[in-house]
Amino acid sequence: MRLLNVTAFFFAIASALLLYGLNYETRRLEAEVQLKERTAERARNDIAVLKAERGHLARPERIDQLARQLGLSPPKPDQFEQGREVSELNERRGGSHDR
Amino acid sequence: MTVDAGKPLPRPERGEVLRRRRARQLTESGIYAFLFLAFAGVALQLVGLALSHQANVTLAVSEPVATSFSRPDIVDRNGRLLATDLKAPSIFADPALVIDRDELVEKLSTVLPDLDAKELRRALEDRSRRFVWVRRGVSPKIAQKVHDLGLPGVSFRDELRRTYPAGRLAGYVLGSVNVDNRGVNGIERYIDEKIGVEAVHSATLSTRPPVRLSLDLGVQHALEDELQSAIALYKTEGAAGLVLNIKTGEVMASASLPPVDPTWPGGARDDRHIDRVSAGTYELGSVFKTLTIAMAFDEGLAQPGTMVDVRQPLEAGRFTVTDFHPADRPLSVTEIFTHSSNVGAGMLALQAGSDRLQAFLRKLGILEQLKVEGATIAQPQVPPVWNRAATITVSYGHGLAVSPMQFAAAAATILNDGKRVEPTFFRTFEAPPANEKPLITAATSRQMARLMRVNVTAPDGTGRQADVPGYRVGGKTGTADIAGRGGYSTKSVISSFLGAFPMDDPQYLTFVILFEPKGVSETGGQRTAGTNAAPVTGKLISRIAAQLGVAPRASSESQ
Repeated sequence: MRLLNVTAFFFAIASALLLYGLNYETRRLEAEVQLKERTAERARNDIAVLKAERGHLARPERIDQLARQLGLSPPKPDQFEQGREVSELNERRGGSHDR
Repeated sequence: MTVDAGKPLPRPERGEVLRRRRARQLTESGIYAFLFLAFAGVALQLVGLALSHQANVTLAVSEPVATSFSRPDIVDRNGRLLATDLKAPSIFADPALVIDRDELVEKLSTVLPDLDAKELRRALEDRSRRFVWVRRGVSPKIAQKVHDLGLPGVSFRDELRRTYPAGRLAGYVLGSVNVDNRGVNGIERYIDEKIGVEAVHSATLSTRPPVRLSLDLGVQHALEDELQSAIALYKTEGAAGLVLNIKTGEVMASASLPPVDPTWPGGARDDRHIDRVSAGTYELGSVFKTLTIAMAFDEGLAQPGTMVDVRQPLEAGRFTVTDFHPADRPLSVTEIFTHSSNVGAGMLALQAGSDRLQAFLRKLGILEQLKVEGATIAQPQVPPVWNRAATITVSYGHGLAVSPMQFAAAAATILNDGKRVEPTFFRTFEAPPANEKPLITAATSRQMARLMRVNVTAPDGTGRQADVPGYRVGGKTGTADIAGRGGYSTKSVISSFLGAFPMDDPQYLTFVILFEPKGVSETGGQRTAGTNAAPVTGKLISRIAAQLGVAPRASSESQ
């Protein structure tokens, strides 16, 4: 009987300690989650900034100027091959090489 | 020994009991000690935890709830970014913590030169307040400078601020937001009303999917660029233009110049800075003959070859309608279109009668306000009485003022085999339902397409300069006198060109409008649409056709 009491007592203490330990661990994990969330939030903000910067750098106004400086211009109708697949173009070019 | 042995031994027995008792007491006290230590340990840990946690608690200041709104991104039809939210620091002051008001205001003014010093000083005088905005949404650089001033009572909090990476591109379409990041006009307002924004206390970015517009960033830029060059070349007071997908009603580009910067919408608040495509109504002039002649075809009143005697000016009430280049012979309906004869259009309208003309225009949606998702289209101004004079003037685009968007929608309907074209600023992924009854016959639609093509290819057509080899451009010019005080001015005109391509199966419609172009040497001193709006359209189409996926055809087949 006494043995049972003592064992139960120890069990109670052990579970209390376990619970306490779990509680502590939970808090630690919570803090970790918070940290991760904060990191993710920061990453999201960075992504937003980078996206905006990319959009700003790729704005057509700027690309237009750069392209024209490189001597590029809108495609002219004679730059298109009408109704032919690219593979056919290659074949034709290959054929002319053979000759 | 035997005596000793025979005697019972009570003492050792008692000693045994005592020993046992002592052992039990020892165990018990051991347990109690262990328990005590354990609980003491727990208590200590808890105290320690509580103390360490206390340090992380941020001091909550009782401040008015300053809400901001997080908005979804806006992207073009290909996913290119047009508007996004960025975190930006906002500066506020706590009057209770401010030590020297004057010093604070003075020092802040060195970093923020346009600060309203008087207003801020007045706000800071009220010590019961704990929160006064100094400046919202500043750049990180400015925030750092203010921080470096080391002023007590001045703090920062992050807020969301709308950013437009493409700058002024499509400024009127996008609209703008106020300081709380709420949309006030354009697409931004539509987002607030129909798509939704979240109220946030901190700078939390929206998790909503981006709003995908029908605009194509490249086409939009080409349009704005060409209009800008046109303003410089023809010394116009302004310009507007749009590119519409005839099959889906998607607005591929819509521009009005002078432009507006969505980041600083307050910078321009005069009547030149309106979205002339949607918010302005104009008497568009001869481009309207497209509608009049379509009506004549659709009502069976005329065929392209029908001859009309246009030699006599047309009496219309107080004034007389004449042609810009009066013809000395009867003209066919095709020639009325290509020579842009006012008399001819007026006679066709009179032949149909005012009721049929009205019914036709109403059918095409010209007479009522047009509903477009994401934009507010101005109410058209229709003649109060449809008498003979009104019927004649409307037939060539006077006496009836509509927004370019509304006219473009009607013209697109004519070119879309009569199927109603409903303009939208949002990307549509499925074709509109085809069960609706066409408004005009497919035959009329094809005849109109052919007429518009002839107007560009014919040697005497007004739209010659709009032609782009390979892309089968068609169109109609319009040079309208601007109605002012005391009648129409012949000095200032609105010159426009309604274009479409490829005319064998019209896919895209362009509409270019130049406001008050001057006669310059390039146009031989003329200010008619054929000499300015038409070549602008030609340049525009040569830039955008490939982007829009229209394949050119060898010039021999492109007639």
